[in-house]
Amino acid sequence: MSDITHDHHDHRPSGWKRWAYSTNHKDIGTMYLVLSMVAAIIGGAASILMRAELHEPGIQFITDPQFYNVLVTAHGFIMVFFVVMPALIGGFGNWFIPLMIGTPDMAFPRMNNVSFWLVAAALILLVIAGFIDGGAGTGWTVYPPLSSADYHPGMAVDFGILALHLAGASSILGAINFITTIINMRAPGMTFHRMPLFIWAMLLTAFLLLLAIPVLAGALTMLLTDRNFGTAFFAPDGGGDPVLWQHLFWFFGHPEVYIMILPAFGIISEIVSTFSKKPIFGYLGMAYAMTSIGVVGFVVWAHHMYTMGFNVETRAYFTLATMVIAVPTGIKIFSWLATMWGGSIKFDTPMLYSMGFIFLFVVGGVTGVTLANAGVDMAFHDTYFVVAHFHYVLSISALFSMYAGFYYWLGKMSGKRYPEWLGRLQFWVTFVGVNLLFFPQHFAGMAGMPRRIIDYPDAYAGWNMVSSWGAYVSAVGGILFFVVLYKTLTSNVKADANEWGVGATTLEWTVDSPAPFHTHEVTPNVAPEPAE
Amino acid sequence: MKLKKQRSASRVGAVVLNTEKENSRNGLTAVVLSFLVFSMIGLAYASEPLYRIFCQVTGYGGTTRIAVFDNKSSVAENSITVRFDANVNKLLPWRFKPMQNKIILKPGEQAMAFYEATNVSDKPIVGTAVFNVAPFKVGEYFNKIECFCFTEQVLLPGQTVQMPVTFFVDSSIVEDRNTKEVNTITLSYTFYASDDQSEAENLSKISLKMKKSINNPGETQIIQPG
Repeated sequence: MSDITHDHHDHRPSGWKRWAYSTNHKDIGTMYLVLSMVAAIIGGAASILMRAELHEPGIQFITDPQFYNVLVTAHGFIMVFFVVMPALIGGFGNWFIPLMIGTPDMAFPRMNNVSFWLVAAALILLVIAGFIDGGAGTGWTVYPPLSSADYHPGMAVDFGILALHLAGASSILGAINFITTIINMRAPGMTFHRMPLFIWAMLLTAFLLLLAIPVLAGALTMLLTDRNFGTAFFAPDGGGDPVLWQHLFWFFGHPEVYIMILPAFGIISEIVSTFSKKPIFGYLGMAYAMTSIGVVGFVVWAHHMYTMGFNVETRAYFTLATMVIAVPTGIKIFSWLATMWGGSIKFDTPMLYSMGFIFLFVVGGVTGVTLANAGVDMAFHDTYFVVAHFHYVLSISALFSMYAGFYYWLGKMSGKRYPEWLGRLQFWVTFVGVNLLFFPQHFAGMAGMPRRIIDYPDAYAGWNMVSSWGAYVSAVGGILFFVVLYKTLTSNVKADANEWGVGATTLEWTVDSPAPFHTHEVTPNVAPEPAE
Repeated sequence: MKLKKQRSASRVGAVVLNTEKENSRNGLTAVVLSFLVFSMIGLAYASEPLYRIFCQVTGYGGTTRIAVFDNKSSVAENSITVRFDANVNKLLPWRFKPMQNKIILKPGEQAMAFYEATNVSDKPIVGTAVFNVAPFKVGEYFNKIECFCFTEQVLLPGQTVQMPVTFFVDSSIVEDRNTKEVNTITLSYTFYASDDQSEAENLSKISLKMKKSINNPGETQIIQPG
């Protein structure tokens, strides 16, 4: 009988029911990760199409400029809502919050299932939005009047709005689940000040979601009724104001960028500590730096709107508040460096990606301080300089943290060891690729190249070609990732329960690899040991 | 085998006990968090009237003031130029232009300017004008006493009207360190087709009955201020 031979017999439903009806945090986490990969292929394909079109001046093969706009929009939405958020929050969050805090599962397992299927449905709606009635070509910011019924008369934008509503509902439910789990279900002895930094990051992210997403939902509903039911929240002819949309959108949109990067901070903190074989430097400082980034992130939104005519006092305030964020961010960077300092560092793929993250985040952070200046932003607004900035600071930074986390936890999730040399190769190809892709965009932007336009003057041709080549190299890195994944899942090399050794001190390394279907059958006790 | 079953049964029991206590606490947490979500949605909707009130109170974003002119108010020494700008939304078949390009006046003095609008379509249309001033920061000093933009305008086919706006610039504009260097203010209007076209529909019914009788469309009329 298998009951006897297997010590850990897990009762689990089999076949499609295991996944469709899943209430298991690990299975749901896996589904989020798979969804993120599928979406990354779609969103990545959109960006390769755009870069191929921009490879040379003139219009190459995208004959309909609106289709280019649709690609820009789809790329933004998919990458933000269906790649980064599902992987970092839904994927790693679901997998490792219960494992790291020592609890069997999330607080509301069935709600967890709803969260996942909502976001899956949302992805389908969003892809539909790209293909019907000429597609939604509004950019991810969906500014009216471009997104109003006058300029996007078809159903595409309505589909997009519905997709975001569903994705938002999913995020809100997920956030409630995360917060409840983290607040109520920590193992005995795990006080707030003893939680791993990844848990801190997920808790703060969930609070940001809870406060920011409803504002987006409200704004989207206003836009929906403006488009279909004759209200005039954003239509001046009915007494509305399109600027109200910008305020509401960015009140959500700025915290949203921290929603994407705080989980990355958490993952990088765990990995840097593990591979330096040292506890994280300045644990409390790190935790409260993230907290203050989250809080201040809600009062800086108008730095996305400098050109719409604020008076000088308002711009001075938003410039100052934005620059203040550099302080806690600096605390994090220097604490990571201090953790590495004097550590016995092992340069495995997760650590390479973490150091890559720190480098990319610093580059993006420096241009962020540049753009925070309202006066400078007047010149840089809507140029490729901004594109370069935000791709460095959140897009490829978030991507690197996803890769880092994936390599770090792949053994725990799959039970197999990935081929180290292939992982390192994949890192270097990706690192060279993304820098080749985005660094030249600083120069194109400083020269004044506007973003979101299918064509450009010949003067920008050189850097655009370099940038496009960088995109192709990055795509090779992406393909290599799937090669690594395939090789890992089909390999025979088993991963140990704690494959990273003495540096890996969090609770997920105390359970087997792959993590059994039910974990922490005995609640771990992490009450403080006597001082060492 | 038997032993194993017993052990797991007792473990399950312990988990159930634990879960009941946990469940009520989890439920309470979820309720509190949901309240947070709904209050944020409420805040998003409340921002619309709040933003409007904020702009009207502070003159933010070039929102002009509605005022009654006070003869006793002081008049500043240096003149200021007020320029006039007119725009029509592309969906409204009207011609709309200012009758004068600029008026030079002293802050504290009252002035009257005229705009002219023509309905170039073949049916009556209700239009409504939105307005602001540039630079935005002088919004709180730009006072309108009477303006065609306060009400909706109905134009018959081919009808041309001249519409007045009476205004003054508050003399304290020269005392504000942020605005004292301003020597030109642009007053801008944009006409849109009003969402409520019922008045135009009534008119077109009446005019069908009356068939070009008393009012000869095409003749310029002046809307009297006040």
